[in-house]
Amino acid sequence: MKQLIRFLVLCLVTGASAVTAADKILPYPIHQKQMANGLNVVTVQFDSPGLAAFYIVVRVGSRNEVEQGVTGFAHFFEHMMFRGTERYPRDKYNDVLKSIGAGANANTSLDRTIYHMTGDATKLETMFDLEADRFQNLRYSEHDFKTEAGAVKGEYTKNFASPYQQSYENLMNTAFDVHTYKHTTMGFFKDIVDMPNQYTYSLEFFDRYYRPEYTTVVVVGDVTPQRVNALAEKYFGSWKHGTYVSVVPPEPKQDSARSTHLSDGSIPPYLSLNYKGPAFSDNDIDMPALDVLTTILFSPTSELYKKLVIREQKVRQLSGGASDTRDPNLISVSASLVKKEDLQYVKDEIVKAVEAFKTSGADEAMLAKTKSRLKYSFAMGIDNPSTIANSLCAYITLTGDPESLNRLYAMYDTVTNDDLKRIAAKYFVPSGLTIATISADAKGGVQ
Amino acid sequence: MKALIMTFALAASLLAQEVIELKQPNSSKVIIKLQFRNGSVADPAGKEGLTAATVGLLTQGGTKEMTYSQIQETLYPWAAGYYGSVDKEVTTLTFMVHRDFLEQFYPIMTGLLLTPAFAENDFQRVMKNQQNYVDQVIRASSDEEYSKKALEDLLFRGTNYQHMVQGKSASVKSITLDDIKAHYAAVFTRTNLLVGIAGNYSPAFLTKLKADLATLPAARYAPPKPGAARMPDGVEVEIVAKDGAFGSAIFTGTPLAVTRSAKDFAALMVANSYLGEHRKSYGQLYQKIRETRSMNYGDYSYIEWYSNGGGNMLPPSGVPRASNYFALWIRPVQIAEQLRKQYEELSSVPIGHAHFALRMAVREVDDIIRNGLTKEEFEATRAFLRSYMKLYVQTPNEQLGYLMDSRFYGRKDFIREADALLAKLTVKDVNAAVKKYWRTDRMFVTIVTSTSEADALAKSLRENAPSPMAYSNAVKAGLPKPVLEEDDAVAVYPLNVKKVTVVPSAETFK
Repeated sequence: MKQLIRFLVLCLVTGASAVTAADKILPYPIHQKQMANGLNVVTVQFDSPGLAAFYIVVRVGSRNEVEQGVTGFAHFFEHMMFRGTERYPRDKYNDVLKSIGAGANANTSLDRTIYHMTGDATKLETMFDLEADRFQNLRYSEHDFKTEAGAVKGEYTKNFASPYQQSYENLMNTAFDVHTYKHTTMGFFKDIVDMPNQYTYSLEFFDRYYRPEYTTVVVVGDVTPQRVNALAEKYFGSWKHGTYVSVVPPEPKQDSARSTHLSDGSIPPYLSLNYKGPAFSDNDIDMPALDVLTTILFSPTSELYKKLVIREQKVRQLSGGASDTRDPNLISVSASLVKKEDLQYVKDEIVKAVEAFKTSGADEAMLAKTKSRLKYSFAMGIDNPSTIANSLCAYITLTGDPESLNRLYAMYDTVTNDDLKRIAAKYFVPSGLTIATISADAKGGVQ
Repeated sequence: MKALIMTFALAASLLAQEVIELKQPNSSKVIIKLQFRNGSVADPAGKEGLTAATVGLLTQGGTKEMTYSQIQETLYPWAAGYYGSVDKEVTTLTFMVHRDFLEQFYPIMTGLLLTPAFAENDFQRVMKNQQNYVDQVIRASSDEEYSKKALEDLLFRGTNYQHMVQGKSASVKSITLDDIKAHYAAVFTRTNLLVGIAGNYSPAFLTKLKADLATLPAARYAPPKPGAARMPDGVEVEIVAKDGAFGSAIFTGTPLAVTRSAKDFAALMVANSYLGEHRKSYGQLYQKIRETRSMNYGDYSYIEWYSNGGGNMLPPSGVPRASNYFALWIRPVQIAEQLRKQYEELSSVPIGHAHFALRMAVREVDDIIRNGLTKEEFEATRAFLRSYMKLYVQTPNEQLGYLMDSRFYGRKDFIREADALLAKLTVKDVNAAVKKYWRTDRMFVTIVTSTSEADALAKSLRENAPSPMAYSNAVKAGLPKPVLEEDDAVAVYPLNVKKVTVVPSAETFK
């Protein structure tokens, strides 16, 4: 009781909240503190002696690239964040980072940019100091800016070696007309080549998005929320709230099937069927139901997989799933084939399986097993601070709230067969389909 | 009777065998790793890829009791999993299960290992994918991975280390189901097995596991002596010409006489980290080639095999090797065709950046060989490594994997022992080790590049022609004088090139 009172007092003093972890998929309490400037600070204590994962997620990604000619900019900006400040110029930043011996890096995707360090928990203050400084005081010359653009082009160059990457780029460009998911996070190549000329825009970009209201600090490991919150206050307390509100144009409803084909015989023939799906939500059943549905229909235990991959051996690999993104994105089913002559057959078989599902739904036992699988998959993975921090960041990206992780897994339990049938009928419709193919032929030819 | 006694003796010897244990009573799962000393060096000549095919069938096939699909269906609600990885000298089978299902999972695990079905339809499926890997995937998915595998093909030519773990096009075609059955019986025995277990398990469980593993074949198996890297006459370059390649992906390699077994390895770890720590911006190669000149996405160096460098941020376990080489990885740089298209001022460049980048990397290595690290550089790099190495073993899976790999090198706990060695090192040790083990005058280089680039690049390398850096005006305008002066020196830096060949992509790995 004494301890409980002490805990409650502490919560009142710090303004923090800690939701108990009972029956939640994440078996550790998520401590959150919203600072006055809008920065959210998340701490999860985890038994990793001497080790802490320090993650910062900024809710800006290629989704926010609404202006023409600057696609790929969120990712480019992630590179620029390593170019130094007045207090920690690039070389000094590198020296200090090296001195703390952490594994540090960053990555960008459609909806967010993540900066992360995992290392010695006793160096947490240095981590805060370094990161808070560059998030508030980044300074780079125009020359540095132009130079870094070459590294981004180098990244595109290495990625381009994969025909799958090329096909994905074509797919997004075909499936979307208006929404910024039309371009990949790398951006259009012509914009990448033009990046050196966008210095002024880069300053604007930093001013818009590198603000506390777009950002969450996540610390997992051998730490206490009190210490994390105190450091956050000390180093991020004076960070100023911004004013920019990002408006992303919504994608109009797709009214007919589309297709894109890459003529390339260097890899096995490839087919992907991509249906327009919903945005992520932790209170609407559609996305959790889609996760269950795609697991049932396309995993190695599915009838479709057993037929195409195991018995007939016309398909090498089959997979499917819906993208968890802030705005409506694609539900994709992908197959790597043995022969290009089977592309139409495989497409027809996938569609047939989906159509049958719309009326018959899933076997109740399979539904229960799938719910179990989703939960145990998560539970098996969370054995280190970095993985937990990454999971939290994924849901912070989507809703701003790490508790969405727990809510999503709770919703899996409530998915019914009726939900599955309803969402199959709602989303797997021919007019919402974009077909992407790769084969040696000049045309895809899949109807 | 004699045979019976011998069987008991052998079984007893396995029961007494050391098992690497990592008890974690608070963990929710159990991880079991079975590491066999075989690997691709165990592949018979003409049947290259046989160990990988065997493991493919063990892990993607059924057992005498259950079909592959039945196994998948049973494991499905538990999200339990298993996989096999084959490297040059070891095969590791890893099984992971939540503690709630350990007892039910166990017979499936032992079935996979002890009573595999070796069914014809599973065989067909597994081989189709392996054939596709050697025929297409390696050439078409990542030019970086391609150049790395092409380097090993060149470096170890004529030895049992030459072929890819997955084999060669012709050898994979020749593998039969009977080959796999025979290979399984011969090279997956209890005599070449190391057992590892981590997580939340009981002593009784371990006793049962050991007893069951004792039923593996008793015939002694020891893999053949691993082939050593060749020492070339000078710098030997193989350019792989590939239609449509967007850049030039470069790997270099030269034999290295030490591995994690050696005391000197710790000294090389420091030098290597300073020169080109994997996926870190601190290395000299990264600083010079990417950070200052923005020529590519990154540049790193290696004193041992690093699996899937494009995907892994930290070095994974399960790939211990006795044959070693020192390598440089220069990620794809621009080719002339692209530079001409992108920048008017570069409309007449004869070659892209590969020759310059190679010269720059070699010059950095030479600089360290010649001048060594300063005391400050040494101290900073050592301090970094002593902290950073702990991240290699963040997960129970990697903790166990590293402990098992330690045995391969005659060590008990490499991470701990390397830390002790690092603690005792001096800058003198590091600089002496670099002088002793590193060289750039004799090395192999592979470059996967566009067909449009190959001949001009080959000519430039063969003739040791000057290769001035071709910057866009936008970047060049702001470069400080010392950088441009250094560029001038790099452009004519001599490489001891003795041989350059151009190989069409279709002709590689034959």
